[in-house]
Amino acid sequence: MPKQPSTDTTAPATPTPTQSLLPKGLQQLVRDSGIAIALLLLVIIFSALSPLFLTPGNISNIFTQIAINVCLAVGMTFVILIGGIDLSVGSLTALCAVVAGTVLKLDGLSVGAAILLAILTSIAVGVVCGLINGTISSLWGVPSFIVTLGMLNIARGGALQWTDARSIYEFPDAFNEFGTSSLFGMPALFLVALALVIVAWIVLTRTVFGRLIYAIGNNEEAVRLAGHNLLAYKILAFTICGASVGVAAVLYMTRLTVASPILGIGFELNAIAAVIIGGTSLSGGRGSIIGTLLGACIIGVLANGLVLIGVGDFIRQMITGGVIILAVILDTYRLRSMRRGG
Amino acid sequence: MTDLLTPHVALEIQGISKQFPGVLALDNVDLKLQSGQVHALAGENGAGKSSLIKVLCGAYPPDGGTMLLAGEAYAPHSPFDSIGKGIRVVHQELLMLDQLSVAENLLFESLPRKHFGLIDRVALNRRASELLSLVGLDDVSPTQIVQGLGMAQRQLIEIAKALSGDSRIVIMDEPTATLTSRETERLFEIIVRLRDSGVAILFVSHHLQELFEICDSVTVLRNGRKVSTQPISETTPRDLVRLMVGREVIEATPRANPADQRQEALRVEGLRFKGQPNGAQVDFAVGVGEILGIAGLVGSGRTETVRAIFGADALQAGSIFREGRPVKIRSPADALAEGICLVTEDRKDEGLLLDMPIRSNLSLARLGACSRAGWLLNSVESKDANDMARTLQIRLTTIEQHPRQLSGGNQQKVVLGKWLLCEPAVLILDEPTRGVDVGAKAEIHRLLQSIADTGTALIVVSSDLPELMQLTDRIIVLSRGKVAGEVLRKDFDESRILELAYSEYMKSGESNAQAA
Amino acid sequence: MIARRTVVKSLVALAVVAAFPLSQTFAADEKPKVGLVMKSLANEFFKVMTEGAIAYEKKRGDFVLTAVGMKDETDFDAQTLAVESFITQKKDVIVLAPADSKAMVAPVLKAVKAGITVINFDVALDEAAKKKAGLDLAFVGPDNRGGAKMAGDALAKKLGPGAKVVIIEGNPGADNGQQRKAGFMDAAKEGKLNVVASRTAMWETEEANQVFTNILTANPDIKGVMAANDSMALGVVKALDAAGQGGKILVVGFDNIPAIRPLIKSGKVLATVDQFGSEMAANAIDLGIKARKEGKSLKGWIKTPIELVTAENLK
Repeated sequence: MPKQPSTDTTAPATPTPTQSLLPKGLQQLVRDSGIAIALLLLVIIFSALSPLFLTPGNISNIFTQIAINVCLAVGMTFVILIGGIDLSVGSLTALCAVVAGTVLKLDGLSVGAAILLAILTSIAVGVVCGLINGTISSLWGVPSFIVTLGMLNIARGGALQWTDARSIYEFPDAFNEFGTSSLFGMPALFLVALALVIVAWIVLTRTVFGRLIYAIGNNEEAVRLAGHNLLAYKILAFTICGASVGVAAVLYMTRLTVASPILGIGFELNAIAAVIIGGTSLSGGRGSIIGTLLGACIIGVLANGLVLIGVGDFIRQMITGGVIILAVILDTYRLRSMRRGG
Repeated sequence: MTDLLTPHVALEIQGISKQFPGVLALDNVDLKLQSGQVHALAGENGAGKSSLIKVLCGAYPPDGGTMLLAGEAYAPHSPFDSIGKGIRVVHQELLMLDQLSVAENLLFESLPRKHFGLIDRVALNRRASELLSLVGLDDVSPTQIVQGLGMAQRQLIEIAKALSGDSRIVIMDEPTATLTSRETERLFEIIVRLRDSGVAILFVSHHLQELFEICDSVTVLRNGRKVSTQPISETTPRDLVRLMVGREVIEATPRANPADQRQEALRVEGLRFKGQPNGAQVDFAVGVGEILGIAGLVGSGRTETVRAIFGADALQAGSIFREGRPVKIRSPADALAEGICLVTEDRKDEGLLLDMPIRSNLSLARLGACSRAGWLLNSVESKDANDMARTLQIRLTTIEQHPRQLSGGNQQKVVLGKWLLCEPAVLILDEPTRGVDVGAKAEIHRLLQSIADTGTALIVVSSDLPELMQLTDRIIVLSRGKVAGEVLRKDFDESRILELAYSEYMKSGESNAQAA
Repeated sequence: MIARRTVVKSLVALAVVAAFPLSQTFAADEKPKVGLVMKSLANEFFKVMTEGAIAYEKKRGDFVLTAVGMKDETDFDAQTLAVESFITQKKDVIVLAPADSKAMVAPVLKAVKAGITVINFDVALDEAAKKKAGLDLAFVGPDNRGGAKMAGDALAKKLGPGAKVVIIEGNPGADNGQQRKAGFMDAAKEGKLNVVASRTAMWETEEANQVFTNILTANPDIKGVMAANDSMALGVVKALDAAGQGGKILVVGFDNIPAIRPLIKSGKVLATVDQFGSEMAANAIDLGIKARKEGKSLKGWIKTPIELVTAENLK
């Protein structure tokens, strides 16, 4: 990194002219809201190519479709911010769903009680597995990649064992109806995800815990030496991820009214992609929940828009992959200019 | 190729400029390096020294200006290119491949090969041994993995690396920052040998006395501009400092009242840390308002001692007393609760959140005071941060800036500020001015004295003996994990301290300090 | 179901030359050893099939069954290992549902050369690859294409010519995926349906739900959907419910999984196709033992029964 005369011990900032194509203000805007602009561009492109894209119905569809990924990506953001990764979220969604599905169909419970208990069970299963992920990776210093890879298999096997590979279906109507209901024109599923986003955003920006999550990702040793209990915070990050999986599993069940032990294959990759596209660094310490939400939106808009304009399945997959790579490249540039430019 | 032994201009640059977004790092700089001479490059951190070196070695392309290497146009497009043209840089930031062996690191650019591109291990290790003995690292095995080595050993390896090719120009960026005086002497012998063989050397150091010891001429940079170039014999350290800083530097006045009957703030008895030689232990005490220095060679256990006191690494044995009370310290949190703070040796890896606001850095160790029931109180945090930045005179535009954008001295002030906000009773500092420029160093010294004056006990670990002698009331000298002796301010004497530092190594018949 | 099996058996009896006395391949006191190589047991369909085979072993009691499953449907590596270990264990009959129609030809050839009777079911081994290896082997399995056409025909009959329909494909890289799509296309051609889109959802509920929602946005005037399996049909129905079109746009599926049955009852799904998965493996075992006893080798395609399931004949 170049040394900066502006922070020299003698002279406070000798203003030197910047040579850039963009005026300073615009530069700043691009830097801060690169993802939002990319999303806006996508929306403009798809609106131009398909008159159906910007209709209320379709927008509502997109929100419904991204709800589960938003939930998972919110939890994933916590884990990635501390420099970890959670590969188990897809399988764990299945485990949470089948256990909660069983509870939902228990005899002798009123519909309301069954639903409430199922939701709590789903979250509890997620929390316990997240706790295990976090404890093992933090306490024994096992890379979270490995631990959660193990959990991926354990949760999938557990879900299959629990159900004997059978799907659970025919949930109470009240439960199923939630999946298609909406409030103020917004799908209920997305509102749940949005609530999660808001809570996570507040936690990350307004609380000591959130501050330390960023700090751990930035420099774990500095945080430890500042007298903080690293272990507790790291375990908590994984536990939050587990809890968000529990919520996602409930959303899945009400949307598709079925809990299959083989659901959610590859969900973890979608969630990670949303987080990364949203500008969170895989090495931790840098990123935001709003970015994650926008990242999930980009993935959702791409999946929806490409079908609407009639792009083939295989090309669609290629474009989505390309966007992930592009997002990371752009982010690297953003970071560089940030470190240089001040 | 030009005959190396006839004196000639090895490298001449004219009007070099380098622009970064928002910053003009180099502004029309000229420099001429003569073969067979050592040329000093002086300037504060941020003056453009590192940028100039990076332009010279091809890491950055200049935006303007010309470079002539032995009279021919020179425009390196990569560091590799410049190595091929005989320009070697000993970097300040030690860029090593931790998992590879010493030999592989040394000869990374030109690994000896056998058929099919396989590495010739025998030749590799033989060549590496030769280079290691050139820099006095005879006891380091070429096959050892770099990861376990200390900073000083790494620095020497980096220097050995620069000797591995046929270099016409060797650029040394702060090569002595982590070296003890004995190792520095060794380095100077190597420099003299290189110089006499006709190599042109560009030498960068914050230690001005070193420039006067080894260099023939000096160029001073300030704010990216060349301020002067002159033979070293025609200038004085005082003049150089004035040129670098652009004003007079007020040195901290030596401590007036040496330690007499002070109330005890911290006492350590029978302390043992991991890896300490058998039978060795550390005992000492520091009084309220006293500044205690800890001297010793690299590897003598200074850092390990203070880290164990702070709970950063596990204490193997021993007791710690605060104001006469025995205390249990198992973690930094315990130490903080006892009012003990540690400014660690490595500020980038252990002290700073480089990519988070200065505000967050300053509040990191006392988030409890900046929050209520887990919720951050932004106004309290900002006010504390602004106050501290003002008290420490940290040069920043806003507390939202990231430390990555600050110079070394200001980064160190941020670390210091973080601990001062905890209002420590015992403040321990490990190499507090390493890599910090002259102006900031003097400021930090003055600051530390004023902190001591408020009744805080200070423990300062430093390899820079003049620094310790100027700053502290009393110095204890560690040698091979043992307190070899204590020197009071009135008896301060460089040779006496060095003698103590070597004492344990002499006893056991081992001559090399690195063995510890 | 029992009636169904009788049908199969008579069909088998036709296929196998039965007039000869039993050959003495087995010692009188020795039960034939049968190895069953399945695909993923995480898939409900194959799980049920395996259970059917085990129940069949219990019921007959005159053969010994070893069943192995894979971790996923494309794990032909593990299948190869399983076949090889069955060769080592000197099984009399190997019954195989190949995970890859080309890759499994080599291990099957090895087993045949070792004198084992091999029955290929569920997915047919690749004809060209078999020919190249000099292998002549019967395939016991349902007609995926024919089944899909049955479902498609039912839809065409209900909708009438010119109606716009959509196909939700399975894995376009898998043989049964391709066959079912082809069957839907056959039906569409014959019934003059207008196929406005055909997209893959990789057999999955959630993906089918997303993909279909987006197709529906682009083509709000579609009248019917042909999904290559019931899991995807389930996702399609949920998408229709969400769009307020449940029961208005007709859906057909394939497999007759338990979760689809309530939807057939409620009229949201018009029809599905039952290929009697639970009996498929049992049938193949039966054929294998018979062929072994009679010392005959089976050839050609022995079609197993399929049946269109609608609200009328749903049990």
